Amino acid sequence: MTEIVLENLGKKFGEFTALNGMNLTIANGEFVALLGPSGCGKSTTMNMIAGMLDPTEGEIRFSGKKMNGVPMGRRGVGFVFQNYAIFTHMTVRENLAYGLKAQGESASQTKRRVDDIAELLQLTDLLDRKAAGLSVNILQRLAIGRSAVVEPSIFLLDEPLSNVDAAFRSVMRSELKALQRQFKQTMVYVTHDQLEAMTMADRIAVMDHGKLLQVGTPLEVYNNPVDTFVARFIGAPGMNLLKGHVGSADGAASVDLGATGRTKVVDAKSKGDVIFGFRPEEVKPDPKGELHMAVTMVEHIGARTILHLMEGQHEAKAVLPAGSDVPNQGDIFHFNVPGTAVRLFDATTERAL
Amino acid sequence: MTDMTSNTPSRSQSQSAADEGAGREEKRLGFALTLPAQLLVLFIALFPILMQVYISLTDWSPLDGIPWYRAYELWIGLTNYVDLAGDPRFWSAIWRTLIVMLICVPVQFLLGLGLAILFVDEFPGRRAMYSTILVPMMVVPAVAGYMFFMLFQSGGPINGILSFLLGSSVQIAWLSDPDLALLGVIISDIWQWTPLMFLILLAGMLSVPQDQQMAAVLLGAGWWRRFFTIVLPRMKTIIVIAIAIRVIENFKVFDNFYIITGGGPGVATETISIYIYKVTQNDLIWGYVAAIALAILIVLSIVSGMAISRMRKG
Repeated sequence: MTEIVLENLGKKFGEFTALNGMNLTIANGEFVALLGPSGCGKSTTMNMIAGMLDPTEGEIRFSGKKMNGVPMGRRGVGFVFQNYAIFTHMTVRENLAYGLKAQGESASQTKRRVDDIAELLQLTDLLDRKAAGLSVNILQRLAIGRSAVVEPSIFLLDEPLSNVDAAFRSVMRSELKALQRQFKQTMVYVTHDQLEAMTMADRIAVMDHGKLLQVGTPLEVYNNPVDTFVARFIGAPGMNLLKGHVGSADGAASVDLGATGRTKVVDAKSKGDVIFGFRPEEVKPDPKGELHMAVTMVEHIGARTILHLMEGQHEAKAVLPAGSDVPNQGDIFHFNVPGTAVRLFDATTERAL
Repeated sequence: MTDMTSNTPSRSQSQSAADEGAGREEKRLGFALTLPAQLLVLFIALFPILMQVYISLTDWSPLDGIPWYRAYELWIGLTNYVDLAGDPRFWSAIWRTLIVMLICVPVQFLLGLGLAILFVDEFPGRRAMYSTILVPMMVVPAVAGYMFFMLFQSGGPINGILSFLLGSSVQIAWLSDPDLALLGVIISDIWQWTPLMFLILLAGMLSVPQDQQMAAVLLGAGWWRRFFTIVLPRMKTIIVIAIAIRVIENFKVFDNFYIITGGGPGVATETISIYIYKVTQNDLIWGYVAAIALAILIVLSIVSGMAISRMRKG
């Protein structure tokens, strides 16, 4: 069990900066997801924690101990690879015993611990099977078991669900979360899938272009994104962002959205050009609504309906719950956005106001 | 082979069971479409073998003036095979071939494996070194034969270097000393064919999944453990192929040996193919040659059969 501290961590590959000035403290037993699009530096960060890469800048500490330069075999880190990296030429038992044997554990102890972990992960019946040809959820359990059996203080998972088809992913997600509760280890999980991060992680670290943008619980990140990137990246569909102008009319602050309309906001901290953000789920249809946009497409996906909206330069999406009146394509859709749901961003820096 | 690709997780195997019906249909069509080509290949391979079996049961020789298809007039049944079993020159040639093989193949394998280990990671000048190492393999064996013939002359460069190193004149008669001549041809074979072993083993080593090796390191395995538990087992198939190729080739080795020593002095370097050549060219008893060749073919077929079945299992 370990607290991980990343201090001003950076990595350059030649001229290319893969990671820059990353500061993050991951508490003991916490499940943190590093989330971002490919090339954002999340895997680089993870590989540096594991010791596969050396940082060019900054420090990594495990429970106060500096880890820079410590070879990866001695960091006490369990790593679950994207494709699990199961030794397919061995049996399940040989896979589970690998780390214990490598660390010189006695044969009887090895057998006992392998049996224990197999019991815990429900792999007992498969112990003498060849690992090749096992189904993917068993491979995932085996990969976790193989790392867990040597009792690492930290678990790193590199997009373990990206090879799994969508239907199966939710099963795997809940299984993974249950396993984490069982082992209580500090876990760092790399993913580009915001849904995985939202459903499993205690905290999410959103990254882009080698920078850490925001760290927070899934709801914090969802409700109060620090900038437009995070706003767009979290949620499916992401937050709507419309260019607008804050001014005061009738004594109250309001946003002028051009052709789309004009709506009141709760507290506009500044006047001038802003980016007006709201979640598609917060759209309230209202025939007398202050805002209106043309419907360009209607997506019916069972329980909810997604409207694609456009007006002038503005594009947005609205999510309507089941049972709502759904407009047709080409209709003008009138709606309101409750003031509390509005998030304003600076028009130039794109950071939250 | 399946072992290498099965690393990507597959959801279940029930899918493949469902496909089996369609697969069988497809197989039948595939077989029908390739049948003409298969028959041609079969004919090319089978006809000479049948002819060989036929000739080996006669006392036929091209000097008799009888065309080969009428060789049955000289039918002698299994006499050639009986003679073969009691032919001391045949057995000593077989024995010598085995010695060459038993020295060359392990040495080439270990050298090739060692080189592959050195070359598996990037280092400055790797590409240039790699190409250089492969050069011997591309030299025509006859040319390599002449090269070693000259290197091993009593006044040649090898004695020259030894003289220089030892500080006194060395006059070893490499190729005319019956005890040393075999060593000379073995060295030439190792020089020429270690690169092939290296090439195949390096390809095999590079195909060992990187993440599995990483996983082993993260579990605390050192270099040796990783090499013997991950790298070598995953190279099993390719190792079998490499060794099978060299075993078969060593059995057939001819050109450079013939040029370096001509099988001499006496019969000191007479391997089985040189013996066959001499019986064919000098003694002209082709029925007997056919019997020898067939015996070797059977032995080599067993060797490659074992290798192929090993590959299937792998």
